[in-house]
Parts: sequence; structure tokens; C-alpha cells
Amino acid sequence: MKVIRPIEASDLDSLVGFAQNSGVGVTTLPDNPELLEQRIYSSVRSFRSSQPKERGNYVFALEDTELGKIVGVSAIEACIGLETVWYNYRISKVVHASKEIGVHTTNEMLSLTNDLTGVSELCTLFLDEPHRTGNNGRMLSKCRMLFLAQNQALFGPKVIAEMRGYSDENGVSPFWESLGRKFFQMDFSHADYQIGLGNKSLVAELMPKYPIYLFFLSPEARAAIGKTHDNTRPALEMLKKEGFHFNGYVDIFDGGPVIESFVEDVRGVRESRLVSAKKSGAVTMTDDERSNLIISNLSLEHFRAIQISPKQVSQQEQSVSLSSEQLDALRVAEGDQLRLIPMRYQ
Amino acid sequence: MLVVRPSTLDDVSGIESLIRDNEARISSLPRKRVKLSERVERSIRSFNRDPDLAGSDFFLFVLEDTSTGELLGCSGIARNSDRKRPFYNYRLDELIHASESFDVHTPVPILHLTHELTGSSVLCSFAIKAGLSGGIESELMSRARLMFIRQFPELFSEQLVVELQGVYGDEGQSAFWDGLGRNFFDMDFASAEYHVATKSRTLLAELMPPHPIYVSMLSEHAQSVIGKTDERAQASYQLLMKEGFKASSYIDIFDGGPVLCVQREQLRTFVHAQQKTLRCGDVNTGVRHMVANASIESFRCGVAQLTDGMGHVLRIDASVAQTLNLKDGDEVSYTLL
Repeated sequence: MKVIRPIEASDLDSLVGFAQNSGVGVTTLPDNPELLEQRIYSSVRSFRSSQPKERGNYVFALEDTELGKIVGVSAIEACIGLETVWYNYRISKVVHASKEIGVHTTNEMLSLTNDLTGVSELCTLFLDEPHRTGNNGRMLSKCRMLFLAQNQALFGPKVIAEMRGYSDENGVSPFWESLGRKFFQMDFSHADYQIGLGNKSLVAELMPKYPIYLFFLSPEARAAIGKTHDNTRPALEMLKKEGFHFNGYVDIFDGGPVIESFVEDVRGVRESRLVSAKKSGAVTMTDDERSNLIISNLSLEHFRAIQISPKQVSQQEQSVSLSSEQLDALRVAEGDQLRLIPMRYQ
Repeated sequence: MLVVRPSTLDDVSGIESLIRDNEARISSLPRKRVKLSERVERSIRSFNRDPDLAGSDFFLFVLEDTSTGELLGCSGIARNSDRKRPFYNYRLDELIHASESFDVHTPVPILHLTHELTGSSVLCSFAIKAGLSGGIESELMSRARLMFIRQFPELFSEQLVVELQGVYGDEGQSAFWDGLGRNFFDMDFASAEYHVATKSRTLLAELMPPHPIYVSMLSEHAQSVIGKTDERAQASYQLLMKEGFKASSYIDIFDGGPVLCVQREQLRTFVHAQQKTLRCGDVNTGVRHMVANASIESFRCGVAQLTDGMGHVLRIDASVAQTLNLKDGDEVSYTLL
């Protein structure tokens, strides 16, 4: 069975393995064991409510109980930009006009901001290559909606996600080539390596502080603004269906879009419903069924989520029938409340 | 005889052809006759010390060959003491983007929009008849203004400024303009220059981007002309440098051309010019000097031969003195050409 649970200290080796494989552009999974270990401990403390709310950093792991190891992770940060400085470019318009000489021009520019400091972030979605099948990716993404719905008080009113920016088949980011490179004489993968080591805000400090007009950029770079990497498109589509939308901010290195939503407006938060657990016999279900649902307990410290088949849901009784194995995996007993959303919206 | 004097309305058509034929472009004078006449009228009011001008005086001089009556050149000074209109320039600076943790330090050249030169008097509107560039006429035309400033220092700022024509192509296009200003105006450089000459420089400058500009973001062509003088203005550049002007970190916001600055006390003309009492005579020998009277509204500065001796008296030929509106006993300023 596949179970979502908070990450644990014993997952470090797996996490280090993911970081080595995650490649250019996934900057929240730094290839730096020390940082990853800190990240795990921070998550463990967060789930135990033993650190301040604004330091909240919740890392979810997808465990394959048959393999006895985790195959993917995802995370939510309660408040970004409090420990390091959070930078984005904001795309804004400027009109230069004079009636007297008949001029009215509109230009767009990128302004460096820390505007998103303090908002919550969905981040670090990573699924190990052989397991990129069925509903695995969706479980990692969707479990966060259940967690947000259950624990709204732990998060800001707004939640964002940074989407990996466009780069071509050779890994070249046209946005970086046209902008960052001119200020940071190294190529994107090296800069990204530094970022990946957890030095993102140090790198950002080498970037231009004053606004950059878009006409200064190459046409390729302009086209890459707000455009996601091909591999990230499914994640983007999934979050769009949750109600996330591009908010006019982009990553300062690769121009990838930031998407956002108010937590209360996230579809999974709005439409999740509480149901009670009923014990049933063995359940036959397939993991990659499109109509499956994801269900979680209401515990913070012992958060668990699994997927179930729609056949297990009783609309009239507001209940779900779970096998004893599923009840154990969710760490609940008959009669306990659970939270439920579909894997896919109709 | 070569004489520099204040321009009059009779000079308008002469000035018009000087601007048209001048090798370097003159953005401070309009080409249209009506507008040009207005500019000459302003100059006349300035020489007459019209108090309504309140510091926005513009003195336009012409160089006349008195033997033929032909105009050989013009030059001007914009007083700019009112500070009502900010004078826009870019200042070329360098930031160091450095990180000790990465052991990197990248120099980042940047253009800052500045009003620092607001209030400085500007030498402008220099034109010389084709073929005379680099000659004595050119030198007289340029330096007579400095004589004027030296005679009436209270009218002008301590710091003097000249903007030289930036590099432009045969069709009047400017790479700097195309790389920057054009994006905000949606017009070519010639049209922008037209507005500068006929309306106001400040009006256009206010439409330029207020934020600093990273030089490395400009096209390579635009970068290559920053602070460069067009070859057609090289003669003026040489003359001004010889006179004591210095290259500055300021450039023109439209074409990226250089701005030269100087503390006027350091000008060759300021250092070397002298004053003596005039004694008219019959003088046909001596060394060529630039000689000026001490009048504002009937200012004259011409070329005369004279022998500078000891004592407080300077002998000049009577006919020369007459042409320069000078009479026996007047104070006269002079320096070697």
C-alpha cells in the first residue's frame, strides 16, 4: 500500500538520493545532506508543534509499505522568506505619455521584490523516477490540500507555488542567458547548483536590484517569462484545477511563474468533506484508477493519507468503508472522522 | 575682419543655412525659420537683460566677416540659472556585485538618471561654415563665448557644460536611442531631435525611464557608443579639450554622447586673458589676438593684430577698434588666439 505520512529521520538516505536525481531547476531539494537533515528535523518539529507556527515546514513522504521505503516527497512551508530572503520579479506595466508630443507607449518591466515574504508555499514535489505512475504524483500533491483544509490556522491567508521555468532540451534557460548571466558570469546549471546547495538568496544578491525593461531581453527570454518547464506542466495543470492562478511574479533566475490562491479558495480545501470511518472486509481496488479518492485522518502529528476507491464511499451515510489494513494505515478506528477529496475533479 | 557679435533678426536666414550645412548636428536650434526667429528673439532679449527671462537666458552669437558681410558661424550659451527646468543626464557609474561566499565580484556599469548639472550654464548651438572647421574662425567662434562669460561672470555658473554630438549613422539614426529611448517614444531619433529643438529638452527627458539602466542590458551597438563623440564633432571636441574642458561621467540621455565639464577658472581663456585700457592708433603689425569689448548688448569680439607690451595701455588700430565698438580709453579684454 502507498501511504502519505510525515517525513522521519530514517528517511534521510532516500531524500539524499532524490536530491541527487532531481536535476537542474528543482531548487527546494538541495543536494546537500546537511541541509536535508535539517529540513527533516524542522519538519518533525513542525508536525509535533514544537516550533513557532511561522517556522512551520511540513514535509510529506509517500511510503510504499511493500518496499518499506519512501518513493517521493512534497512539502508546505508556512511562511516563506523569514530565514532567508525571498526574491521574485514582479511584472509591471509602465506608460510613458505626453499629449504635447503625441507619445503614449506601454512597456513592461521586471522589478525585484520581496512581496511574497510571509505567504505559505507548496514546494518540493518530487517523485522517484520508477514510481512516476498511477496516482502517486497526485497523492503527493493532493495530500497537501487535505492538510491545508484541516490545519488552516497554521498557514497564511495565501498559498503560492513556484513552477520550474522553461529551459530547452539542452537545459539552457533563455531567461537566464539574457539576464542573470550578464551579472553572474557562470552558466545556469552552475548558478543552479549553488542555489541547489541552499544558497538561493546569496545568489539573488548578485542579481540586478533595479528594474529591467522587458525590451532589453532577447525574444526567447521574453517568451520564457511565466512559462513552465515541460516536465512541470502536469503539476501546473493540477494546481490550476485547484484554483491556483499566475499572480504576475516570476522566478528571478529562470522566469518560471508563481501561482497562488487564497487557502480558503483552494478547491480541495473548499470541497473536502468530513466522513466517518466504517470497518469493512477486504477491499479490492487498483491504485491507478482515475476515479479514486484521497482520504486523510485529522491528526497533525500523525497525519496519514491513502487512496480509496469510490465504491467505498457512502453518500447517504457520510461514511467510508475501510478494510482493517486501511484503518491501520490511517491510524484510525471505526467511528473516527476523516477528510476526503477526489483525486480528480469531474 | 572676423567679428563675433550678438545675433539679430537679420541673421536668421544666415543661421538657418549654417545649421543646415553644419557637419555635426545641432539639436539646440530649430531648423524651422519661425521657431529659429523665436530663438533669436530670446537671444536679443537676453543681451538686453530682459528681467522677464529670469535666468532662462539664451545668448546666441554669430561670426561675421565684416569685409563681405557673410555669416561664418554661430554659437550660444544657455544660462540655465533659473533651475526651473531640470537638466537631465545619465551618469555612468559602476556597481560591484560581490559575494564573499562565492568569491565573485563582477563590476556592473550602470546609468543613473541625474539632475546634477541643473543650473550649469551650457555652451551650445555651435555651427561653422563648411571648410572652416578646425581653423581660426572655428576657434574664435567657440572661444568668444568664453570671453563673454569671463567679462560677465555674474551671469553664468562656475561650472560650464558642453554636450557633444553622440555617434549617429548616415540616416541620422542613433544606436543608443534605438536601444533605449526609442522604446518609450515610439519614434526615430530625428523626430525626437525635432521635438527637443522645437519644444523642450526637459519635456522629452521627462518621458525617459526614471530607473537606473544596466549597461550590459543594452545592445552591444548601443553600449559601444556610450560617451563617444561622433567623428563629425571631433574638431569641436579637440578645441574644447584644448581649452581645458574635461570628459565627465555624464552622457546625453538621448544619444549617449559625452558631456564635457569644466570649472571656468581653469579655462585657457580665463587664465590667460587680460584687461587693459585702449589707445587707438595705427597698428598693422603684431600677433593675432582675440579682442573683446566690455559691453553686453553690443558685445563684440574680433581678431586683431597687436603687440602686447608693459604698462596698462594696449594699442589697437583705430578701424579695428571701431568695428569692435571700442573707443579710446575703454577697457578691453584680449588673449592670444
